[in-house]
Amino acid sequence: MGREAGSRREAVRAAAAEWAVRLSDPACASDVRAAFEAWRAESFEHEAAFEREHAAWERTERLRAFKPGGLASGAKPDADLLAPEDAPRRAFDRRSPWTMMAALAAVAGVVGTGVMTATASTAYATDIGERRVVVLADNSRIELNTDSKVVVRYRGGVREVKLVKGEALFEAAADARPFVVKARDARIATTGGELSVRLGAENAAVTVRRGAAQVEPDGDGPARETKVAAGTAMVYGPGGSHAQPLSDAEIDRALAWRQGAIALNGQSLSQAVAEFNRYNRRKVRIADPSIADLRLAGYFQSTEPMAFVTAVTHTFPVRVSEGEDGVIRLARKG
Amino acid sequence: MTADDEERRAWFRREILPLEPRLLAYARKFCRDGEADPEDLVHDAFTRVIACKTWREITNPAAFASRTLRNVAFDGLRRRKVLTITAVADFELIGGMDETPGPEATLVSRDELRQLREAISELPTQCRRVFTLRKVYSLSPGEIAVRMGLSVSTVEKHLIKGLRYCSEKLGRAGATQPVRIDEGRSWAGKRDRDAKR
Repeated sequence: MGREAGSRREAVRAAAAEWAVRLSDPACASDVRAAFEAWRAESFEHEAAFEREHAAWERTERLRAFKPGGLASGAKPDADLLAPEDAPRRAFDRRSPWTMMAALAAVAGVVGTGVMTATASTAYATDIGERRVVVLADNSRIELNTDSKVVVRYRGGVREVKLVKGEALFEAAADARPFVVKARDARIATTGGELSVRLGAENAAVTVRRGAAQVEPDGDGPARETKVAAGTAMVYGPGGSHAQPLSDAEIDRALAWRQGAIALNGQSLSQAVAEFNRYNRRKVRIADPSIADLRLAGYFQSTEPMAFVTAVTHTFPVRVSEGEDGVIRLARKG
Repeated sequence: MTADDEERRAWFRREILPLEPRLLAYARKFCRDGEADPEDLVHDAFTRVIACKTWREITNPAAFASRTLRNVAFDGLRRRKVLTITAVADFELIGGMDETPGPEATLVSRDELRQLREAISELPTQCRRVFTLRKVYSLSPGEIAVRMGLSVSTVEKHLIKGLRYCSEKLGRAGATQPVRIDEGRSWAGKRDRDAKR
């Protein structure tokens, strides 16, 4: 039900955005204006959505501040004026041979030697508590969760992204070239679809939201390919792998980080605390093992550990103390 | 009548739209069990608020908007076939929206340009170029079409895509900032207070 409402909302907002764009065109004809009035009069939903999109359209007028001043009116506008700035190359992990190669390739790309230019790569990283969206040249999207890093390398026939650290959602645009995510000794390939990958201490988890993916070990081991269908999560690691189907609601909860939230549904207190610690420099610790297995449910802001702690102490016999080191300690009350 | 409608829309633009990040944060509290989408709650609340013909009598738009959102959430809850304990319990516990302007209100003007710039740089290449020519250099869609060798309708599609990206981004701006969870204050008490006002 919620899903249908969401797509209706998107359809109305998209229509409203179209009107905002068309009405602002100096060449907009009077019949377009009349058609707009008729559309807007259809419902308050249309009216409100138009105000929202139109307001955003007006706010983007502020971008004119970036127009280089002092140019003669005949100067050629630079369509790439607001292109993304270069990604921080210092973020490379020098211990890994793969990233070393990528770094070399990137340097070679700058120098401009023929063969290497094609393998130039770029790293994108996030800090603790940060999220970031990267749109690649082919319209594929990467959403990086907290404390994460990817290295993007598009070579001749392959779109390759290495997840070096953390967690990311990949939305592969449909393309003849396969989209490959390398993560923890495995290659996850898709031709177009949406999947998230999260690195754990030893394991990695792949969740396919749309489309399908093939997961295979990266390296010399026996070629063993596993297909992961939409709505499935697969965990793999040194101990093997297993897959399980997930409901849409479960997938949405796992991706709550995209809205800056943590959605708990029966996780233990120790799992929940570990989750909050990914997003915050201010850490929470369980000082008393007897409370580690309390089960929790709820939707929390990931960067608000205190709100979570307050909810816990209100619900369970748990007390909280704060040391000089700023660590929030949880223990059993009484 | 038309002038009156225009005044009502201007009120909505001025008083209600800027509340979106805070309303979204408030809406999330009603969606803890994952059965409703906070963005839908805000969208439906906007629809109800703009329909209000007696807008001139509203002294506290933030209180009105948050009450409307709560009603939207409650109506959604009533329509559900299966009610979870959490959903009902949440409903009892969630207080009103924090109506004092948050720090985001003062940060908006300073941060907005930076946010916009960031949003534009995240667009796909062609879309970003079209948007830049339209908004930074104020070229018309017709001029952009000629310059880039595209049809006007393709230029419009890029602009719509860019606008949708920016409007979602602006609507969420500040929503990840601290949201006060005021579990102690019951809605019943809050409603009485509002009624007396």
